Parts: sequence; structure tokens; C-alpha cells
Amino acid sequence: MQGSFNSPDTHKYSVILPTYNERKNLPVIVWLLAKTFTENQLAWEIIVVDDNSPDGTQEIAKQLAKLYGEDKIVLKPRAGKLGLGTAYIHGLNFVTGDFVIIMDADFSHHPKFIPQFIRLQKAHNLDIVTGTRYRATSKPSSPDAQPGGVHGWDFTRKLVSRGANFLADTVLNPGVSDLTGSFRLYRLPVLRHIITETVSKGYVFQMEMMVRARALGYTVGEVPITFVDRIYGDSKLGSNEIVSYAKGIWVLFTTV
Amino acid sequence: MARAHRVALLGTVVVISYVLTFFKILSVPLLDAKVADQIIPVLPWWLLVSFGSYCLWSIGMGLLTLRECPEAYNELLGEITEAKNDLRMKGVTVD
Repeated sequence: MQGSFNSPDTHKYSVILPTYNERKNLPVIVWLLAKTFTENQLAWEIIVVDDNSPDGTQEIAKQLAKLYGEDKIVLKPRAGKLGLGTAYIHGLNFVTGDFVIIMDADFSHHPKFIPQFIRLQKAHNLDIVTGTRYRATSKPSSPDAQPGGVHGWDFTRKLVSRGANFLADTVLNPGVSDLTGSFRLYRLPVLRHIITETVSKGYVFQMEMMVRARALGYTVGEVPITFVDRIYGDSKLGSNEIVSYAKGIWVLFTTV
Repeated sequence: MARAHRVALLGTVVVISYVLTFFKILSVPLLDAKVADQIIPVLPWWLLVSFGSYCLWSIGMGLLTLRECPEAYNELLGEITEAKNDLRMKGVTVD
């Protein structure tokens, strides 16, 4: 589909990066994103939604804006830690592209997969493309996909992740293999539509977006990605998360 | 109608027809009455065991096929170093 931007592929891609204490990670992820977009001749911008990090993430973001341009790195901070879902809603207010990419800022999602997302989106005119750690091929199939995978997970983490996805898959039948991942490309109006209907927070938020997308009849493609668990900082997964995840599945089961 | 309602509706229909068959109000077509009498009482347990096996198999296969990607990790470490050096040169504070 033809876009309306003055760029080689007529589209513009906006990355929304919610951050909290990502001072170490932010410059590197921005560098990787900039490299990927430049090499693939894509028009881009990064909306940094910082929840008032005490570690000076915003200071770094300003330095990056000076380096890459204030039109490329757009800092839109918020007053405090207000959660992931609302961070995307906040970021969406400032998006100027026609596609939105959401991802984590901690390198567990590598920007090198974005061109594959975009190729798959264009080939099948998809509304959403999501990264999956659990597939070896993309869906619909495409020749440039490499098998996905994870790094830095022990057996328990793998079991919990597999169990969680199996539970959600059985109960909700969402049609995508990786529900808890959050590396996705959305058509802007599609993301706006789904996000207004989404009510949950935290881990369940990403899952609900996929379940709603399917219920609303949007087309979703999957690209296998490699997932390198947080190199700096801890990833959070405790019994509290597991309980709230199970509750979230129940709520979706009874409402969507 | 949410998914829960659809599942509940289907479940109710299945349970009612099972109970009616169990108490011989409905008859099983295409099956000898003697054979049916032996199968009907154990059917729920058979379903339960099948579903349990399916769960274990799915999660087990999922675990087995979840690939490790050390090459992605090594590549990333290299890129992080490259990025940091480049950014430092360009005057961005990198820890």
C-alpha cells in the first residue's frame, strides 16, 4: 500500500520506547535502531517515553537528540512510573509516522529484525507483525526468516514461559505463538484502535493486544526473533506475575 | 458473546447429551448396545487422560524445540562495544 511520506518506501516508522532507568541501555539501542533504519533507507523517529527515571535517562536522551536530530529522537517524559500500557498511549499522541514499532529498550529485542517485519508487512499487507521466540519460520512464510530462540534463560524460566503461552493458547486461541513477547509492528490506526479497547496492565497487556486484534479481525503476521535476556539489570518474573497473568487470562476468557 | 460463553454453551450441550446417553434416554447410533455400555462410563476419564497427555506433550515439545541462540548473544556484545565506542567519540555519555 502506498504511503504519503517523502521517503524511498513512502512510509515512516515510529518507535515508541518506554524507559525507566535505562541510562545504560538507551544510547546503545538508539544507535542500533539508527543504524538499522539508515542501512535500510527507512524514514524513522524514536519517541522516548521516560517515566521520570532517577538515573538520568532523560539527560542521555537529550544528548542523543542533539546527535541524531530532535526530529528523530523525541523525548516525551511523564511525571512518574505510570505503567507500560499508558506509556504507549502517551507516546501515540506524538507519533508522526504511519507505522509504529513497540519494543523493549534493554536489547532483548534486536532492531535487526525490523526490516524483516516490514518486508512481511508489505508482502501481505498485514495490520500487525509480531516477533516470536518460538517459531523457526515466519507466518505467512517468507524466505529471509531465521529460526527464533532465547538466550540467558534457565530451565525454570523456559518452563514458565512455555507453560504460560500454552495456557493462553489453549484458553484463548489467539492464533499467534508468542503472546507475552512485545516486539511488534503496528499500522498506526490499528494500534490506536486496539489500545483504546485494551484494559489490562503489565504482562497481560501485550497478550490482550493480540487477543483483541484477532477478535477485531486484524491480520497478524509472525517473524521469528532471537531474544537475549537483559544484559544489564534484572528481568522480573516472580510468583506475583504468574498469578496476575493467570487472572488476566481468565478476564480475557470471560470478556473477549 | 465472549469466548467463555461459547465454550460454556458447547460444554453444556456435550454434558447434557452425555448424561442422557448415560441414563439410556438417548441411544448410541452405529454401535452395539453391549459395547456402548462398556465405553460410555469410562469416556470422561479417557477424555481427561487424553487432555492431560496432550498438555504434557505440548509443553514438553515446546521446551525441546525452544532454541538457544548463543550466536545472537555474542553478536550483540560486539555491537554494544562498537556502539559505545562510536557514541563516546560523538560526545554522548556512555557508562
